[in-house]
Amino acid sequence: MVLDLTMSMAILALLGALATIAGCLEDLESDVGSQSNPNSQVQLAPQMNFLHRIYNKAISGEPISNGLSAVTGGVITSVLLSANFYPLTAIVIGAFIAAVIYGIYATTAYAGRVASQTRFKQPLYMDIMRYTTPSIIGHNFIVNFCLVAIAYIQYVILGYPFTIPFLALIWGISVGAIGSSVGDVHYGGEREFQNREFGCGLNTALSGRIVRRAESGLRNSIDNVWFCAKFGGPATGIGLGLTVFFSSWPTTIWGYTWTAIIVGFVIVAVMMILNRLVEIQVKNAYGPYKEEKTEKGVEA
Amino acid sequence: MVAIDPTLLNVLLIAISGTLICAAVHFIPVGGAPAAMAQATGIGTGTVELAAGSGLVGLITASYMYANEPTAPVYLVMAAGAMGSMVMLASTMLAGGLIYAYGVAVPFASAQVKKDPITGQRQDNFISKGTQGQGIPTICFVSGIIGAALGGIGGALIYYVLVGIYSPLITTSAAAVAGVFTMGVFYVNAVIPSYGVGGTIEGFHDPKFRRVIGKDVLTSFVVSLICGVVAVMIAGGMVA
Repeated sequence: MVLDLTMSMAILALLGALATIAGCLEDLESDVGSQSNPNSQVQLAPQMNFLHRIYNKAISGEPISNGLSAVTGGVITSVLLSANFYPLTAIVIGAFIAAVIYGIYATTAYAGRVASQTRFKQPLYMDIMRYTTPSIIGHNFIVNFCLVAIAYIQYVILGYPFTIPFLALIWGISVGAIGSSVGDVHYGGEREFQNREFGCGLNTALSGRIVRRAESGLRNSIDNVWFCAKFGGPATGIGLGLTVFFSSWPTTIWGYTWTAIIVGFVIVAVMMILNRLVEIQVKNAYGPYKEEKTEKGVEA
Repeated sequence: MVAIDPTLLNVLLIAISGTLICAAVHFIPVGGAPAAMAQATGIGTGTVELAAGSGLVGLITASYMYANEPTAPVYLVMAAGAMGSMVMLASTMLAGGLIYAYGVAVPFASAQVKKDPITGQRQDNFISKGTQGQGIPTICFVSGIIGAALGGIGGALIYYVLVGIYSPLITTSAAAVAGVFTMGVFYVNAVIPSYGVGGTIEGFHDPKFRRVIGKDVLTSFVVSLICGVVAVMIAGGMVA
């Protein structure tokens, strides 16, 4: 479909918005279910005698589990579209079924992981499973909806050469990679270890010694997602939103030319400079940790 | 000049692309689980996941460029792949940096060099006790961008070659088959370096980089060569 510039930009803005929501909710889903690298600490805690009430699913690495979920939604949507369903209905049904399947994986993963920790006396809390699993399904439904909608728009309106399930799979893998790289640091580096000193990295000696008490009562995964929704989730959303927006924006404005490619490279350079500015600011705020004179062979 | 058989050339191009992807993974600063807990420098995820994630975004931009400009030179398609991949990784590292800086509050520091070769700033005195560095310092960011560019170029080149092979046989489905096969080659070549780097690497300035890249690239070339042969062979069974 050939679109004018205004319409193309409107579609691109919609894609960016959907990606931002998908990125944010993907990270929050991985926090409420405890998945990916930070979950290694949740898994390790009972072995250090730190029994906890945190959901422990980790179906697989985030990109793979989200890719699976998104492609399931994409396949069901494609089938329904070929049966002449209204697109929005098809996407909603596809996303919902995929989310329910994801919920089944989450339940079996949680039960299986806790069962493997019997020797460390980690209990399987049925109340945790009852009220956290629907939250996981709810978060995953929104992620699937956004990703399949992006795939639908790219395939049907923008004319991408890949099909809806394949585009959904790629975006599922990407959102998982970004969620694992960005938002999980907020969960693993900060929320799980709020007992460490602020302004420094996590000492390896603290591994497995996760915080188990909440602002009120014992901490559970709902408390964690409440905290991470303040920064980790939105930052992940920004990561995916920028990716979707800036990977298409240059070609939308400048066409399929070298100029567009150069503009893309300039965007990357600007991000590099921004990262450097953040680095300078944070180094001034928290470092250095020790006197420079203690270092040998290096000029101050 | 010796003329190369087109089929052999296609196989070689796929092998070279796969090798580029493998080399790319070594440039991307991944810290694995320790980085997710601010215990090590780099991005807090696995090598395969991040390399595939960024490379596949490059595949989307490259395929869209090729679909809209079928006469586009291969260099333009490759550059589009590099751009998409770089944008994905740069966005991820920038957003991740914001979390390290304002969420966890750790100064960015490399544990592999005493001074950042690009900024000249000392790193060792910013490493907090009991960690192997934290965050994504400038040298790691630049290394990651180079890796993403190589990965994007590799993915786009495989796609370009495969669409060229499959288009005359299965016109409408060629892009889909080429895309799926490219993804497969991507995963194969993203996994190979994982054994060499052992889960974490800071980038091209990491001593591990020089230690393992030779073996990994050679392995990847041989494996990608087999992938190339298979890619050509499956075309034999294609009917329009």
